Amino acid sequence: MALSVRSWVANEGGKHLVLVLWLGANTLLFMRTFLLYYCGQQYHYLHQMLGLGLCISRASASVLNLNCSLVLLPMCRSLLTYLRGTHTVRSRKARRLLDKSKTFHMACGVAICVFSVVHVSAHLVNMVNFSVRYSEEFPSLNVARYRGEDPRLIILTTVPGITGILLVLILFLMFTASSYCIRVSNYEIFWYTHNLFIVFYIILIVHVVGGALKYQTNFEAHPPGCLRANQTNPDKTEEESGQAEGDGRSCREEARFQPNSPETWLWVSGPLCLYCAERLYRYIRSNSPVTIVAVVRHPCDVIELRMLKKDFKAHPGQYIVLNCPSVSSFENHPFTLTACPTEKKETLGIHLRVVGDWTERFTELLLPDPGAESEILPMVQQRRYPKLYVDGPFGSSSQEVFNYEVSLCVAGGIGVTPFACVLHALLDGWRHFRLRRLYFVWVCRELQSFYWFAELLCALHHKLWKENRPDYLNLQLFVSQTDGLQNISEERYRPLSSRLMIGRPRWKLLFEEIGRTNKHKRVGVFCCGPKGISRTLHRLCNSDRYSGTTFEFNKESFS
Amino acid sequence: NGKIEWAMWANEQALAAGLILLTGGIVGVAGQFRDREFAAYSIAAGVFVCLLEYPRGKRNKGTSVERTGQYCFTVCVKSFGPLTRNYYVRAFLHAAICVPGGFILAAVLGCVCLGIASLIYLAAAIRGEQWEPILPWKESARKPVGESIKLPPQNPPPRPPAEMRRKRAEDLEAAAYVNPIAVTANDD
Repeated sequence: MALSVRSWVANEGGKHLVLVLWLGANTLLFMRTFLLYYCGQQYHYLHQMLGLGLCISRASASVLNLNCSLVLLPMCRSLLTYLRGTHTVRSRKARRLLDKSKTFHMACGVAICVFSVVHVSAHLVNMVNFSVRYSEEFPSLNVARYRGEDPRLIILTTVPGITGILLVLILFLMFTASSYCIRVSNYEIFWYTHNLFIVFYIILIVHVVGGALKYQTNFEAHPPGCLRANQTNPDKTEEESGQAEGDGRSCREEARFQPNSPETWLWVSGPLCLYCAERLYRYIRSNSPVTIVAVVRHPCDVIELRMLKKDFKAHPGQYIVLNCPSVSSFENHPFTLTACPTEKKETLGIHLRVVGDWTERFTELLLPDPGAESEILPMVQQRRYPKLYVDGPFGSSSQEVFNYEVSLCVAGGIGVTPFACVLHALLDGWRHFRLRRLYFVWVCRELQSFYWFAELLCALHHKLWKENRPDYLNLQLFVSQTDGLQNISEERYRPLSSRLMIGRPRWKLLFEEIGRTNKHKRVGVFCCGPKGISRTLHRLCNSDRYSGTTFEFNKESFS
Repeated sequence: NGKIEWAMWANEQALAAGLILLTGGIVGVAGQFRDREFAAYSIAAGVFVCLLEYPRGKRNKGTSVERTGQYCFTVCVKSFGPLTRNYYVRAFLHAAICVPGGFILAAVLGCVCLGIASLIYLAAAIRGEQWEPILPWKESARKPVGESIKLPPQNPPPRPPAEMRRKRAEDLEAAAYVNPIAVTANDD
């Protein structure tokens, strides 16, 4: 499929612009600091002692400052939800950039690791040079105590050295536990090591206080390289004397040195305080426990949970994070809301699939085994539900479904949950949204899965037919497992059985059909499902189309 | 919950530590440190650890994600049998590599990181984890179809012995049967 420039720019342009700006900022900062230490007069003597290692280590340090401050911002999820939800950010293009906040966080993290390696390597060379080129002429410039001091001793006996080693170790633990493989299999290792970031930042602020590198304060009165009376420079070679500035002139005073004032705390304290405030806000907000109102068992290992929480407002497409101390005190799991609280119905609902040990244990606490019910107990029985804490709601890309004129929602299996909430909202009232047409494609492995939302789909279908807008909702259901006779036999689910197809959807044909019937429009494509489907859809959105329709890809992803 | 697989994390750590050792060694050689020969040890140790740790092991539960192009490394590492399968061996091996490196400036950080990886491998070994190679799934051989099914029977079905087939004189009722065609005796 040919790549279309227009489609590519519409889909990928914003992200790549931000990437270019970020790379540019890093490069600029690196070059500026490098040149400062390379050419600056106040660093002349220090540069003479340490060489290129000084410039590289300081330049990488300033890039590290920038990235250590930027890495926290994408993780302020409540702030991002606020920016997204209340339309504070006007343009839909800018809101789409918020979908990529986790990717930006990872890019900054990788930059921190890479530049830490550069910084540490350059400082190792600096340690050797501090030891080998110990300066008798300017003793205050030295970090080593005598010529030829073992560099390892220098590292272990100075504050920047020890804190530097601790920082590298913490970064090592955090980085090795963040690979995709570990996040997917042992999430706890990732979560607990990543929370060491607060120790990292505290040690970082202590690291720069050491004041090992000094600059010359009086280079006006003592131009670097000037000769003092009664003094020859036996160490200097011919070229060095030729290049030094102010050569031949006599100095008015001795060189005086002062340590660099640390500027890391200027960079880092703002975002760190913001993030800590965000965590505190989320903790306070999630501290009121929720009341579980109903628990319903659905086919294919899905449980629906209905809860009540005071002062909880959410938009369709947002997700919440559940914490159940009876199952595990520290684990938090995200679930998309399938029913938001409205004026008519105040409960919030989620559908969760039982797939790991947390969900298994949670389901055991909610629903006892059917066989374990004793005959002797009375029918009316106080159900003891476990205590549950809800954090959220947090924004996601599915909130934008209503802001396009035409939207295509593709769901795979349990990925239908964000769109279920969208359909609930349409059931309450569809006229006031910008949305004029919704294509809904739901692919499941088993036929039984469609019963999760069969009522909802049929209710919406009937309502739209009654109100004379049958073309508003275009429903297509697919069962991907092709063996066995499969049909939805209930009479009341006729709209579903007549739109049920066996086999996998043919995406290219679907896109062509949508393009032909919605010419020159911007269609929002929302996908929540397996990687294979979302990759195919992403590729199709970026490729050529003959009807002048632009498809904008929005992918739902949990952190 | 006891489902955490520590070996996977130790593997990531050891691979990263190998890369740090390699980088430290290169900096040591290029930066013309005093003990350049020992920086070469750092490079060699780094390369060895990277080669050993590159192939990822198989998970106990769930799908295992391979690293790109790890199949040839898997075959090499598998050929050492129990030496590479057992995590106690790996833990002590990494500890042995990292101790001398701690005295070399260029290898200090790599060695501390490798030491941490060695401790996590020890924890994994105590919990009984093992390195299983990720091999491509081979079609299991189908049960061979019995030869006798393919050919029609060569022999008639078995019959009871001749004594049982013979009609007995003492049991005339059972021996009697009705002639389908009327039999008439010859009158002449």
